[in-house]
Amino acid sequence: MNDLLTHIGYGHFLVLAAVLFVMGVAGVLMRRNALIIMMSIELMLNAANLTVLTFARMHGDVSGHTFALIVIAVAAAEVAVGLAIVVALFRGRRHVDVDRLNTLKH
Amino acid sequence: MSGRVLAAIAALFLVLGLAAAGTAAAQPAGGDAPSVTIQATPGAGVSTASRDIATGSGAGMAILFWALALGTVGGAAFVLTRRNLIAAVMGMVGTFLALAGLYMMLYASFLAVIQMLVYAGAIMVLFVFVIMVLNRPEDEPWGMVGLPGKALAGLAMLYLLVRLVMLVWSVNVPDAALVAPAAVAFPGDAAHTVYEFGSTAAVGTSLFSDYLFPFEAISILLLIAVVGAIAVARPLNDADELPGAQPPAPTGGH
Repeated sequence: MNDLLTHIGYGHFLVLAAVLFVMGVAGVLMRRNALIIMMSIELMLNAANLTVLTFARMHGDVSGHTFALIVIAVAAAEVAVGLAIVVALFRGRRHVDVDRLNTLKH
Repeated sequence: MSGRVLAAIAALFLVLGLAAAGTAAAQPAGGDAPSVTIQATPGAGVSTASRDIATGSGAGMAILFWALALGTVGGAAFVLTRRNLIAAVMGMVGTFLALAGLYMMLYASFLAVIQMLVYAGAIMVLFVFVIMVLNRPEDEPWGMVGLPGKALAGLAMLYLLVRLVMLVWSVNVPDAALVAPAAVAFPGDAAHTVYEFGSTAAVGTSLFSDYLFPFEAISILLLIAVVGAIAVARPLNDADELPGAQPPAPTGGH
C-alpha cells in the first residue's frame, strides 16, 4: 500500500483518467443544465487526452501528442457550436434545462 | 418520470456494453496463462526504484502527483455539485491547470502549454461569456430525484468505474517504458538539459510530416465550426431581439 502511494507508475495516471471519465459521465447523466453537461463532456475529453498522453509516454512515441492536440482542436470546435446552440435555445425559451427541452419528442 | 427511468435503463445498457467491450478488448491482451500472471501485478519484474523513472524520481514526484490528482478530482467534483455556474467554471479551470501539471509529469511540455492556453485560456472564457449572457440560476440541478433513481445512477457509475479501473490497471508496462526520455544538452548552456520527447520541435515534426492531412482537416473543421456558430447564434430577426429599437436604416449602395 505504501508502495502504491510513494512510487508513481503509469497505472496511477490511467486510473486517474478513468476516475475523471466516470465523473464526466455522471455529470452528463445527472445534471439538467446544458452548460454543465457541456463542461462534463469536456471532462471526458480531457480524461481521454490524459490516457493518450500516458500511453505516448509509455511507448516513447510523439504521435500520441499529435492525437491529443487534434482532440483539443475538435473540443474547441465542439464548444463553439454547442455554446451557440445554447445561446439560440435560451433566446427562444429563457431556460436551458434539458429536461424541459422536449418539443421534438411530441 | 417514465422518461427518466427509460434514460436510466438506457444508461445502464450503455455501461454494460462498455464493460462487455472492455472485457473483449482485455481478452487478447491477456493471452496465454503465463502472461496472465505478469498482467496481474503491473511492473512485477521491475524494482520500485526503477519504476520511479517513469515519471521522474523520488518522493517529491509522488507528492506532486497526489496534489495534482487532488486538484483534478476536486475541480471535477466542484463542476458536478455546484449550483452556481461561475463556481463550476472555476472548478473546471482548476481541473485543467492540474491536468497541465500532470502532462508536464509525462514529459508532454508542449501539450501542457496548449492545455493552459486553449482550455483554461480560451474555452473557459467562452463559457464565462455565455454564463454572463444567460445568468439564470437553476431551479433543480439534479435530474434524477428520489432514492431509486439515485441508487440506480450510483450503482451504474460505480460499475463503470470498477470496470474501467480493472481494464487500465491490467495494462502491461514494457520494461523499455521505464527509461527516461533521451535528454539533449541545452545549446550554449551545459548546466541545463532539455528533453527532445514532447517538445514543440518533436510534436511539430510529427504533425507536419506524418499527420499533415489531419492537420489540414482540423483547419477546415475549425472554419466550419466558426461559420456554423455564427449562423446558429445569430438572431433570426433583429427586430425580435431588441424590442422598441428601430430597424437599422439601409445604408447606401453596395
